[in-house]
Amino acid sequence: MKKNIFLTALVLFLGFMACSDDFTTNEPENVEDLETFFQTEDNVEAAIIGIYDLMHLNYSRDWHSAFLVKLLPGDDANAAGGNSSDQPQLQDIDDYANISTANGSIESVWNNFYTTIALSNLVIESLNESTLSNKDRAIAEAKFIRAWCYFELTTMFGDVPLRLTLPQGAADFGLAKSTRAEIYVQVESDLTDAIASLPAKSALADEFRFSKGAAEALMGKVLVFQERYSESIPFFESVIGNPSHDLETNVADVWSIDSEFGVESLVELGFVSTSGRDWGNIAWGGRNESNLHIQLMGPRGDGIFDVTGTGLLNGWGFNLPTAKLANAFDAAGDTNRKAATLLTEAELIAAGGNVDPTSATGGVIWDYEGAIRIKYASRAEETASDGVRELNYSTNFRVFRYAEVLLLAAEAYNKAGQDGNARTQLNKTRNRAGLADVSTSLSGNDLFDAIVEEKFLELAHEGQRFWDLVRWGRAATELAGTGYAPKNDLFPIPITEIDKNAELTVADQNPGY
Amino acid sequence: MKIIPLKKLFFLIAFLYGSFLQAQTITGKVTSADVPLLGATVIVKGTNNGSSTDFDGNYTLKNVASDAILVVSYVGYITKEVPVDGKSVLNISLEEDESALDEVIVVGYGAKKKSLVTGAISSVNAEDIKSVSNQRVEQALQGRTSGVTVSSSSGSPGSGARIRIRGTGSSGSSEPLFIVDGMKVSNIDNIPPSDIENLEVLKDAASAAIYGTEGANGVIIITTKRGKGKGVKVNFSSQIGLQFLQSDIELMNASQFVTYMNEAGITSVVNNGVDTNWIDAVFDTAFMQRYDVSLSGEAAGVSYYASVAHTDQDGIVSQENSSFKRTALRINLKSDVTKWFEVGVSATTSFIKRRGVQENNDTRGVIQNALVLDPLTPVKYGVGEVPAEVFNRATNNGFPDVPLLTTSYGAVYGYPTYSTGETLNPVALADVNRTLNNNNQFLSTIYGKFKILEGLTFTSRFGYEYGDFSNENTITPYFVASEAQNTAYTMSESRVRTKRWLWENFASYTKSFDNHNFAVLAGYSAEDFEVPTVSSRTGSIAISDFTGFDLNLPGYNVDDRTENIVTFRDNLVSMYGRLSYDYSGKYLFEASVRRDRSDKFPTANKAGTFSAFSGGWVLSKEDFWGDDSSINYFKIRGSWGQNGNKSNLSGNSDLISITRNINGLPIDYLGQGGAQITGFANTNLVWETSTQTNFGIDLRALKNKLRFSVDYFKKTTEDLIVSDGSLITPGSAGFTSNEFNAGTIVNKGLEFEVGYANNDNEFKYQINANLSTIDNEVTEILFLPEGTSIRGAGAPQNDDGITRFTEGLPAWYFFGYQTNGVDPTTGELQRVDTDGDGNITNADKTFIGSPHPDVLFGGNIAIQYKAFDFNLQYQGSLGNDIFTSYNQPSRPITNKPVHYFDERWQNPGDNATFPSAATITDAYDTDLMVEDGSYMRIKQIQFGYTLPQSMAKKLHVNNLRLYLSLDDYFTFTKFRGLDPEIGNFGFNDIGVDRGYYPTAARMIFGLALDF
Repeated sequence: MKKNIFLTALVLFLGFMACSDDFTTNEPENVEDLETFFQTEDNVEAAIIGIYDLMHLNYSRDWHSAFLVKLLPGDDANAAGGNSSDQPQLQDIDDYANISTANGSIESVWNNFYTTIALSNLVIESLNESTLSNKDRAIAEAKFIRAWCYFELTTMFGDVPLRLTLPQGAADFGLAKSTRAEIYVQVESDLTDAIASLPAKSALADEFRFSKGAAEALMGKVLVFQERYSESIPFFESVIGNPSHDLETNVADVWSIDSEFGVESLVELGFVSTSGRDWGNIAWGGRNESNLHIQLMGPRGDGIFDVTGTGLLNGWGFNLPTAKLANAFDAAGDTNRKAATLLTEAELIAAGGNVDPTSATGGVIWDYEGAIRIKYASRAEETASDGVRELNYSTNFRVFRYAEVLLLAAEAYNKAGQDGNARTQLNKTRNRAGLADVSTSLSGNDLFDAIVEEKFLELAHEGQRFWDLVRWGRAATELAGTGYAPKNDLFPIPITEIDKNAELTVADQNPGY
Repeated sequence: MKIIPLKKLFFLIAFLYGSFLQAQTITGKVTSADVPLLGATVIVKGTNNGSSTDFDGNYTLKNVASDAILVVSYVGYITKEVPVDGKSVLNISLEEDESALDEVIVVGYGAKKKSLVTGAISSVNAEDIKSVSNQRVEQALQGRTSGVTVSSSSGSPGSGARIRIRGTGSSGSSEPLFIVDGMKVSNIDNIPPSDIENLEVLKDAASAAIYGTEGANGVIIITTKRGKGKGVKVNFSSQIGLQFLQSDIELMNASQFVTYMNEAGITSVVNNGVDTNWIDAVFDTAFMQRYDVSLSGEAAGVSYYASVAHTDQDGIVSQENSSFKRTALRINLKSDVTKWFEVGVSATTSFIKRRGVQENNDTRGVIQNALVLDPLTPVKYGVGEVPAEVFNRATNNGFPDVPLLTTSYGAVYGYPTYSTGETLNPVALADVNRTLNNNNQFLSTIYGKFKILEGLTFTSRFGYEYGDFSNENTITPYFVASEAQNTAYTMSESRVRTKRWLWENFASYTKSFDNHNFAVLAGYSAEDFEVPTVSSRTGSIAISDFTGFDLNLPGYNVDDRTENIVTFRDNLVSMYGRLSYDYSGKYLFEASVRRDRSDKFPTANKAGTFSAFSGGWVLSKEDFWGDDSSINYFKIRGSWGQNGNKSNLSGNSDLISITRNINGLPIDYLGQGGAQITGFANTNLVWETSTQTNFGIDLRALKNKLRFSVDYFKKTTEDLIVSDGSLITPGSAGFTSNEFNAGTIVNKGLEFEVGYANNDNEFKYQINANLSTIDNEVTEILFLPEGTSIRGAGAPQNDDGITRFTEGLPAWYFFGYQTNGVDPTTGELQRVDTDGDGNITNADKTFIGSPHPDVLFGGNIAIQYKAFDFNLQYQGSLGNDIFTSYNQPSRPITNKPVHYFDERWQNPGDNATFPSAATITDAYDTDLMVEDGSYMRIKQIQFGYTLPQSMAKKLHVNNLRLYLSLDDYFTFTKFRGLDPEIGNFGFNDIGVDRGYYPTAARMIFGLALDF
């Protein structure tokens, strides 16, 4: 017996030794092998959806979104919120004060643009040799999104690292900055390829996907930003000449749930109210299919804004309109578009609501200048009727729409000396807002001023204003007295990038930070 | 194999009832050197008839046959057998056992005489922890040995503690390896301290090297109790006690708060007649009780130990809502089946139910809210005093069906009168947001030991561990403010299992000749561990549809992530060997080696080899060491060795994979499924290796009454494993790196242990003390460019984080602005422009404190006089800092500790230490938030009384001890928060006080009974 037990043990034990190689290998679970992934059309589609999803995350991430980071330096919006120190990283951007190189929102936006770029790079690289039927369209879509991201990055940060391949490991993490000119070259090249292979808007299989028209419009915008006006005109003309693109008839409908992915839409990020977010499963910092920003930007409750009669729900109070914006509407006699953009205190009270500053911290409603915002407002009908309404808004973000194309085209025509064409385009958005044509004698710099003013009103709270002021050289005058300084033309490169990117040092930081 | 033990148990019971033979009564006295011995055991050989001596050393035995032999034993003395020879009075004198001083201690895969040990090992035995009132083993360890830092992750009942042996090594897991009865276990929360026979802490690399890849953070070996000696022994012990908060913290009262807010320019805050002390409101007196019963002994060749232990402890916060209940059952059996074959089994099952409140959370924790909520808020409104605005608040905000926050008997909880944002009545928060953990564990090991030849044995041991852990969180609806609301019933539940088997086979051979003593060990083991997820779901239900908390009920909107959570797997195959040699117990040498193969590393790096060498010289055994020296024993020893650590790696770091889920949630955009990559491959991942050198001296002097040990160690941990690849990946790379090796940390220090015991007289006493110094420094950071640092723990609205990992500084030191006092003119805190660029920017943030203590100390004084005993135990740390991080910069109307008020700047010209009320929020990321965390705590003051034998006899018990104990009652510290003993849950936020659940002071009545 003694021998037998001993022998059995010995045999089992040697058996283990022999198969220890298999025993100590555990294949990854619930994931797929990159090497073989890009071999089916469906997988390619999934990767493209992954890119859309990252872009969606970047523009709506809790309190660190590209939406707010682009918007707040403008003179159309104030950060607002609960009080002057609520989300200080957003207050800092709004007030141009102490913008730290560790500003969490700026860092998040930087990182998320590059994540979106990295996944685009992966798709472009992986499909290089592919024979799949959706290869060309997929590459075109990835290149469009990559171009979009680099254009946004260079607008906000100036010179940035230009990554066009996926790092293979830590050795590839370091990358020096490329100049803005180099970034533009790449953006144009990607857009040229995208225009060649993206489907027309009328041929899109899914309404949310980006079309050839979007790529042409973006190419035009990129050229305008480089002051290459005449080169931009053919791209705008192609978009404008395409009957799939037009303005919504009624200005109030532009941001409504009924016009989602509608005729005016070029780049729109979609949200749904059906994903059942609640206070237990909301993913802070992560991906929610609902639009948490609508709650973040809803009129502050807690007894401050009573929104009875407006059809709105209360929120956390960020993103209030400035008095300057409200006054600009009044000065232009622009009532329809004003009503679609903001609601003054008198109008709120008239509707049945109220404003009570005594409920606010210190008795003062921070950053409130007499109006609440209606564009992208927290509308009760745009969230789940049952469930946790504050966390399930479905309002889409229209981050690039036809009205902007018309005004970019107007600018390009004006700068290229074709004021007649410029007035034609300018009048389209004016007419839609119920305003008369500009005088046919309006030309040159005066016409340009009118375009600037029209763009201020049409695209208020959409994150365009500040970057336009910068490139027009008007920031110093328009933003005088706000704390703005020329260094604010660019955001600081996140200190985490400089710390971790071996090819960057503090000397690469943007001036003034 | 037959089921021998059960059968033998029957024999035993037969013995118990069948051995009352007619015979005489014997009395007598047991002494040593004419001093009576209390509690010596006198047994009639071959029977269960026995007794123990009272405090005069007297015993009485009935029914003793005239030809019987008495066996007299006493711990630390040589057991004596005395024939009765018909006498009726037998006085017996015992001699001290010198060799008893040479206890045998457990080492990896074996045991060793302490005098022959060449590594650094500390022991704690059953006697030391028998009357602790801590319910978890980790806490019972605190302050008892040098080189071991134990910090509770929370003071809430049943919460774990973090154990660091010789400093913080890894950035991932720095937990030591736990071995229970030879079996590696995932945790030790299921072991009642009463089941522990002894506990060894292997501190140096040489001792731990036999555990290879897992020994880098030290090893804790727990041996549970066995049956000992013939006969049956029943132990019953019980504790009942009260727990309460014992803290000097003081917050601003209502009038101070109003003044402070008004000075800050918030004039809307006015006195309203309410003055709530939220500390008093949140903390209660809570009850605890514990019952342990064990039965042990040996009969017919089977030794057995069986126990049931039950603990029931309420929390000092919200009573039942933060409670801990544990029932643990254990049986340990061992039998010599034949002369060449021994078999043993240990099995334990435990059931833990733990309830918890939100804690350690700097925006939504119960204690954090108690620290910040304005004192003008009532705990509850009186009948009819609910303000109309509160009554209508939910409705006015669009939630007409959300009920008021009410107590179980219908009183309405106070809503914050002034505080805004996430701030919530903490008493209500503890009520609406509840967590329940159910944790059922089963652990068993079985071994067979074959004595093949003289000195050669082969052991095969199989262990199986199974755990079932579930966690359930429920939140009832409320609407306090737009940031403090939950407008539906929500719940989440998760359930995982742990399954581990470990099979070990090892042979050992000992041989001695001509004073040469050899011991050789060789073994092989295989381990399989997996953690499957059984359920991971969250859900919510509209108020109108709610009938109960159960995600299976209709109406719940359920988010089920179970399918997407990957089973954690871990496999390890190892070979190990050890050679021990000594010459005449004088010259000692040991070498060990282990080769491990793990699934956690890239193919080329799967296997790692770890070796260690140690030696010692017992000078006191040399001829030149006079027998009359006052130093009875003197040993010098040294060791060098390497250990590994695979942290909590998930494996496959060398692959880039595609996933369709993020954190268990499918990637979805408008109803279509997406995919992305998981992270960048790291093909170079290796073990974290710690290399440790140790030198030590052990001595005993003054007739062995004085014991002293000193150790110096230097532990260099290279290739630190960090799981969070974002710490080294620049944002522009897009995704983050898989796990990586981050750098090198050096820990070095000195450890002293000293003890003096005098048991010669009726007045017996013992004094023990230990002290350790630790110096922790990061010496290298890989991947990152020179001069940069890794960002650690975050804090509210602070983008820079408050801890950092930087070359040349302690790991995860506190990071923020240095300050240079308060400007007497403006009342603003003056930040130091450390980079000298003329501006205060975040580039000026720097080292402002270290969470690591310079010195740890502990000790006890035990006195026994006749039937009375007294024990005082203390423990503490020096030189560590605490960062208070419960203040929210974005919430200006919040309360603060009273020194913010007392020491504030008020008028130009004031020389204040705290800034003006108006500028205090600028202080939250400065060194003003860093306080000295040094403390000394009296862990226990205990008075005991042992019933005299004569009275015990009447009660038919062998021994009865009653005691009264004050535990964690006195604390000496300059720290002005709730509790200086801040532990924490994460590796990078040690010493960060986010509203820490404080350790409760306890008043305990206990009873221990043997019969």
